[in-house]
Amino acid sequence: MNLYKYASPAMFYPLAGKLIPWFAIPAALLFATGLFVGFFIAPTDFQQGDAYRIIFIHVPAAWMGMFLYVLMAIYAGIGWAFNARLSSMMASSLAITGAMFTAISLITGAFWGKPTWGTWWVWDARMTSTLILLFLYIGFISLQAAIDDARRADRAGAVLALVGVINVPIIYFSVQWWNTLHQGATIRLLQKPTIRGSMLAALLIMLAACWLYSVAVVLIRLRCIILEREQNASRFAEVGV
Amino acid sequence: MNWPDLSMGGYGFYVWGSYIASLIFFVWEVVSLRQRKQKTEPSAVAPGKSSSTGAAIEVDPALPRTVL
Amino acid sequence: MLRWIVWRDLMLAWRRRADMLSTVFFFVIVVSLFPLGIGPETQLLRTIAPGVVWVAALLASMLSLGRLFANDYQDGTLEQLLLTPQPLFLVVLGKTFAHWIVAELPLVLIAPLVGVQFDLSRETLWILFLSLLVGTPVLSLIGSVGAALTLGLRGGGVLISLLVLPLYIPALIFGAGAVEASVMGTSPSAHLSLLGAFAIVSLLFSPWATAAALRISLE
Repeated sequence: MNLYKYASPAMFYPLAGKLIPWFAIPAALLFATGLFVGFFIAPTDFQQGDAYRIIFIHVPAAWMGMFLYVLMAIYAGIGWAFNARLSSMMASSLAITGAMFTAISLITGAFWGKPTWGTWWVWDARMTSTLILLFLYIGFISLQAAIDDARRADRAGAVLALVGVINVPIIYFSVQWWNTLHQGATIRLLQKPTIRGSMLAALLIMLAACWLYSVAVVLIRLRCIILEREQNASRFAEVGV
Repeated sequence: MNWPDLSMGGYGFYVWGSYIASLIFFVWEVVSLRQRKQKTEPSAVAPGKSSSTGAAIEVDPALPRTVL
Repeated sequence: MLRWIVWRDLMLAWRRRADMLSTVFFFVIVVSLFPLGIGPETQLLRTIAPGVVWVAALLASMLSLGRLFANDYQDGTLEQLLLTPQPLFLVVLGKTFAHWIVAELPLVLIAPLVGVQFDLSRETLWILFLSLLVGTPVLSLIGSVGAALTLGLRGGGVLISLLVLPLYIPALIFGAGAVEASVMGTSPSAHLSLLGAFAIVSLLFSPWATAAALRISLE
């Protein structure tokens, strides 16, 4: 079976369409399962009470935000290096979902911070780095939005994403240094609950749910992008869109 | 299995607040995608509807093609 | 070739001295605004000085970034430069160096004067000068990537800011951190060394990224 034909947006379009339900439905099921385990089976934490249950959405969202950024940079890089349109479209599609998860992790982090640290926002290394990650996403999305020519937008985005991805460890390191220097009496270390069996299970199930959700949503958006960009191509007539 | 304390030991506002905020994001994403899909699909699908013959689409050669 | 590019850019900038001066004035005004907004209490001012001066330097740098390639782009010179047999890396390096001299060096030189407004000690003013001397090349180099990516786009300065400011953050942390260490009496050498490391790394990699971005923007 020749898989390379799927590198063409026109050929990938129907494949994506068939794949979406295979990710969307399991995602919904796993969300339900994860929340069930998280709320009905996992016990109350000794230190944080029931407030810790926010981690079941906060941590998966944070991981997805970071993972999707790296993935976006990889796809953008491949699209640039091999002149693969579909790859670049994938990067553009990933950006919005990644930004969304990063925003969720910031907001849920704030909701978690208030009862546990006493303030809505704390400049600890992780939260600050996540905020900067959100800025990086916004930069990528804005740059692509500002460029009319699709190919230039793809390649410019690739340069930005690659520069960004290389900078992420540097930024994290800098922020961690900055944070340890400035640790005063007002900032308390994040107390992570000791992850036990059912808590860990719920966490992993929610992570899988977020991942499956991302795949489904990114594929749907990818199909829209393919249509938007390939509208004038008569190739679509042959594929029978 | 234990029925969870709905007030979350007093932290209800924070726990439910986070999940509701997240839900809003998920719903926003799905809804806006749906709108985007509805906007792009009709204009692309319609011309190709009679494509079984392979020759039905009329592409104006003067139109800028999204090349490569 | 490198020398020629630098000299050419410097001459062109000299003919438009007003641009250079306006960047400096912007820097001075922004720094002066903070005491007006916060209050004249000297202890407080000494605490915020490192961050304020550094952020103002960041903002002033960003305002000047638009000029790095825009003028050559508009009159077609940039396309010609891309066609020369000389490596684009060198062209970019030359232009960025000239930009640093014109847009950043004045800030570095005037920063100690401005630091006096915050009642900083002579030792701290010296560290302020050093940190900006080492840090502003990083700003120019990373900024050049943003300038090249946004060539000819509407959205102008704001778009460059969105792209480049997150990438400036490490330089800000260590640059302002060095001055702050000096204010508190501890040694700023660790901060300055790391800042220097950033400068070297960006010197090696940014012109390459900028060259790639230029080719993308110009085809």
